[in-house]
Amino acid sequence: MLIKETEKKQELTGREQWIIFKRLLTYLLPHKKMLLLAMGLLILTVLGDVLGPYLIKVFIDNYLTEGNFPTGPIVGLALGYLFIQTSNVIISYFQLLKFQEAALKIIQQLRIDVFAKVHGLGMRYFDKTPAGGIVSRVTNDTEAIKEMFVTVLIGFIQSAFLIVGVYIAMFLLNVRLALLTLILLPILAWIIYLYRKYSSVFYQDLRERLGQLNAKLSESVQGMGMIQAFGQESRLKDEFSAINDGHWQAAKRNIKVDALLLRPAVNLVYTMAIILLLSYFGVSSFSNTIEVGVIYAFVTYIDRFFEPINQVMQRLSIFQQAIVAASRVFLLLDEQEKIPTQLETNAKINEGKIEFRNVSFSYDDQTDVLKNISFTAMPGQTVALVGHTGSGKSSIINLLMRFYEFKKGDIWIDGVSIKDYETAEIRKKLGLVLQDPFLFYGTIASNIRLYDQAITDSAVRKAAEFVQADRFIEELPNKYQQKVTERGSTFSSGQRQLVAFARTIATDPKVLVLDEATANIDTETEMAIQESLERMRLGRTTIAIAHRLSTIQDAELILVLRQGEIVERGTHQQLLQQRGLYHKMYLLQNGIVE
Amino acid sequence: MRVFWELGWFFKERKKHYILGVMLLMVVAFLGVLPPRIIGFIVDRISQGTLTPDYLLKWLSILAASALAMYVLRYTWRLQIFGSSILLARNLRQQLFRHFTQMSPAFYQKRRVGDLMAHATNDLQAVQQTAGAGVLTLVDSIATGGFVIAAMAITIDWKLTLIVLLPMPLMAYMTNYYGKLMHERFHGAQQAFSELNDKTQESISGMKVIKTFGQEQQDIDDFKNLSERVVNENIRVARVDSLFDPTISAIIGVCYFLTIGFGSYFVTQGDMTIGDLIAFTAYLGLLVWPMLAFGWLFNIVERGRASYDRIRQLLAEPIEIDDRENAIDEDPSGDIVFSLEQFKFTGDDRAALRNIHFTVKQGETLGIVGKTGSGKSAILRLLLREFDDYKGSILFGEYSIDAYKKQRLRRAIGYVPQDHFLFSTSIAGNIAFARPEASLKEVESAASLAHIHEDIQNFTEGYSTVVGERGVSLSGGQKQRISIARALMTEPELLILDDSLSAVDAKTEESILKSLKATRADKTTIITSHRLSAIQHAHQILVMEQGTIKEIGSHEELMTKKGAYYEMYELQQLEALVEQGGEA
Repeated sequence: MLIKETEKKQELTGREQWIIFKRLLTYLLPHKKMLLLAMGLLILTVLGDVLGPYLIKVFIDNYLTEGNFPTGPIVGLALGYLFIQTSNVIISYFQLLKFQEAALKIIQQLRIDVFAKVHGLGMRYFDKTPAGGIVSRVTNDTEAIKEMFVTVLIGFIQSAFLIVGVYIAMFLLNVRLALLTLILLPILAWIIYLYRKYSSVFYQDLRERLGQLNAKLSESVQGMGMIQAFGQESRLKDEFSAINDGHWQAAKRNIKVDALLLRPAVNLVYTMAIILLLSYFGVSSFSNTIEVGVIYAFVTYIDRFFEPINQVMQRLSIFQQAIVAASRVFLLLDEQEKIPTQLETNAKINEGKIEFRNVSFSYDDQTDVLKNISFTAMPGQTVALVGHTGSGKSSIINLLMRFYEFKKGDIWIDGVSIKDYETAEIRKKLGLVLQDPFLFYGTIASNIRLYDQAITDSAVRKAAEFVQADRFIEELPNKYQQKVTERGSTFSSGQRQLVAFARTIATDPKVLVLDEATANIDTETEMAIQESLERMRLGRTTIAIAHRLSTIQDAELILVLRQGEIVERGTHQQLLQQRGLYHKMYLLQNGIVE
Repeated sequence: MRVFWELGWFFKERKKHYILGVMLLMVVAFLGVLPPRIIGFIVDRISQGTLTPDYLLKWLSILAASALAMYVLRYTWRLQIFGSSILLARNLRQQLFRHFTQMSPAFYQKRRVGDLMAHATNDLQAVQQTAGAGVLTLVDSIATGGFVIAAMAITIDWKLTLIVLLPMPLMAYMTNYYGKLMHERFHGAQQAFSELNDKTQESISGMKVIKTFGQEQQDIDDFKNLSERVVNENIRVARVDSLFDPTISAIIGVCYFLTIGFGSYFVTQGDMTIGDLIAFTAYLGLLVWPMLAFGWLFNIVERGRASYDRIRQLLAEPIEIDDRENAIDEDPSGDIVFSLEQFKFTGDDRAALRNIHFTVKQGETLGIVGKTGSGKSAILRLLLREFDDYKGSILFGEYSIDAYKKQRLRRAIGYVPQDHFLFSTSIAGNIAFARPEASLKEVESAASLAHIHEDIQNFTEGYSTVVGERGVSLSGGQKQRISIARALMTEPELLILDDSLSAVDAKTEESILKSLKATRADKTTIITSHRLSAIQHAHQILVMEQGTIKEIGSHEELMTKKGAYYEMYELQQLEALVEQGGEA
């Protein structure tokens, strides 16, 4: 089964980037109020930023140059200045905080959406997508988007407001000079354009090389045993060295681009702006009198104007990453591979009669892995599925559990099509025990109960007793409250299997679906497991995949599958007498040579 | 600041670059003093009405020239200092990698991959920062700060300078304090994020279980709660983060107020001109960065020191398994004589192996059986010379295994481990891992021996199919057989199969064993297994129990002995016997 490469190197056109960015902005809508509040505060702080220098200008021009200091107005100016500064400090704190809070809430929503979407996807999606990739979509990619909201977008809004405020103030002070300073905008825009253009290429390259570098490193560390066992140290060292050098070269290119177009360039423009101001004032001073305070105000405004631009530009690369991350997140959100849909009638499963009627199924719509499968399991009966890997055993279970949608034929439970039941009903009445018993982080009790709080402590205990898991649980220092970490790796696979049994029994399903474990289990646990299985099967319809024929000899019906077809069917004795495939498998398993 | 001393070797190595970089940085700092002063001069002339076009042109030309010069100099020092810092990162990374290749498996057993990766990424990053941004903030805060203050005191007024600078150290102190607070809270935020990450990982791995029990919604709710925690932890960070700018502007605001207040007084006293006052306020603006830089410097240096300490500790780990002096430079070949009194894993009180004595004649097959933890793997690991600290001797041919060159010994052994590790490259690349120069034909013949050739041919890209996260997903049995093919590539003197047939079915197991027997008639093979069928035909079988040999002999001998082996065999056949009885 080949996995399609889902994480190809992505080259997004400007238009695509814009579409993604607009879609990201739609996530702002639910937080309109908070954002408006933050913007209101922002306008106040900009107002303060602009008013402060203006007051000083008034002081310089009206009083200082005149050498005249009437107490009233001076005190008024001083108090006004202090008031503005103080309130500005307080307001800007809340403004900054509110923006960040909003950004965090926005990302939280995005994360929940992605996570919920993942839960709504069909198993097919998980087959073709590596788990690591999906986890990255939910966490790392959304984190990159958060970075963009917090550092770039907010900074950008703040800068934009400040630039507008500064220009308004400059226009109020001197229209002609303000008009002249407008020339700064296209120059800065051009620098930003150039920087975006080059850094997006170089930076992307650096990121990719860093990814390769870390992947190589991590793989080498994990596979060091193999590298040493086969004496390939020096080859790997050379390979790593080549990647390391490539990364270094890429880092150097980035430093050059940054040095050419970031702070040094913006600083150059800043000084040019000062030269522009001074020549304007100098030249006009030859014919008119100039108010010194106005010069002060302009110099200060220009100063204020450049700082946020510097900051935003330094963070542009974050924007680039976020857009790429967002494109991947949206790709997942737009994924069409949904879980099978149900008709959601009120039908209930009471008996547990299972019928497969001419079911055919394909994972890729090309090769059928199940061909025309029909069989019936009467309530309480056990039907065993036997066959080599790839014969279609697991696919039958996958369809019965509604992990995959099938198109041909139908599965009937208690005389009703499986597609007509509510999903919840199927989940409640069909209990699946997986080959690889998966334990979650938590305790033994929480692993038996899962999220179902309706299952009481005593029910948990009863379930454990029923499958005889209580024997080892009672010996644990914390019994049912024993911590389960790292997928239960501290427990043996047999113990994990027993916990998984208890988990299924706790829900008391009508139908039991078993995927027999092939893992190495020691003989003692193996016996406990077999005993528990027999008890579990009692009174329940059971569909079981069996690897060891010995475990299913009492099954009412054994289906022998080969390449998606049922080639033999019958009881153990009947099948042995047929002397067909089953008979051969049986002989092989028992090491008997005819 | 000790870390600068500790990194002295590197600064010496890159002496020219650092000296040039630091000098340019200082020139830039000096030139940065010019604009406010020039603004002051021109304002004075304007306010006095004495500005002439020549004067204006002179100073504006100086300003323009200095701006251009600064651009070039800024570009250059960045290349020198930042360029050096990434070189340091590159060299240290290479050093670490080389060191990793020399570390014994014992080292990898006590360290987790994630930790080693963290040293090679985060710690390296912090050291790089120290050699780059650290040097920059140190030089720049001192140079820019010094020049600006000097310009204020000397060219304008030292009294005003003194008064106005009073609140400034508070800024360095506060920002440094916030930095520390941020670091702490940031840790909490990362913790929450990593929990969220684990949760997601778990949900996706356990997707089938969650679906089986129909608990998708509950799982989403659980995720919601965790994401709420992430938000709250991050808001805690934001509360500190949002303090930076307001604090800076508050302190600067106070400074401005003091400047205007006292400055105006000095102006009316005739000690200063208005131009001086405006220049002074502009200088104030220039002081913000050095103060911030000073605050950062401490954080950078502190992190850098801790990180560099960790990296040095890692590099100081001794190489445990190394070639002896005059190690034998020939391929080991011949009988294997294993006679061991005792072996303990480091840090373990209990002996992992006791009194193990056996001989494997060249060309024979040895089978080892026993429960998990009985010492099967320990024997193999000693043969691979993963450990040197045991009592006893292990001979391979004429000499003890530690007399050979490590490379020679390892090349003589084809090892197939229990946990089959494949590299994320093509299947051909994996099989030819030990002999990258091998032809496709050789690769194919090794694959055929391991009975994986047909499987590989069925992949759309055949031998070029890429393995791993980004490639094809292989079944356990396929991985095992590729591992076997990989080990067969070198036609090793000794082939070790460490329970490497567990995931292949009985039929395939039999065929593989048969073809091994046929092609490796004169070469030695050691097999461990849970399934007795895999070792049944070995010349000699060891039955291990609690670190010692319980029984030794051929299958027939052990069967007649009616001991542990017999019991194990009977147990595995028990079901078969029951069945046969049932049929009869």
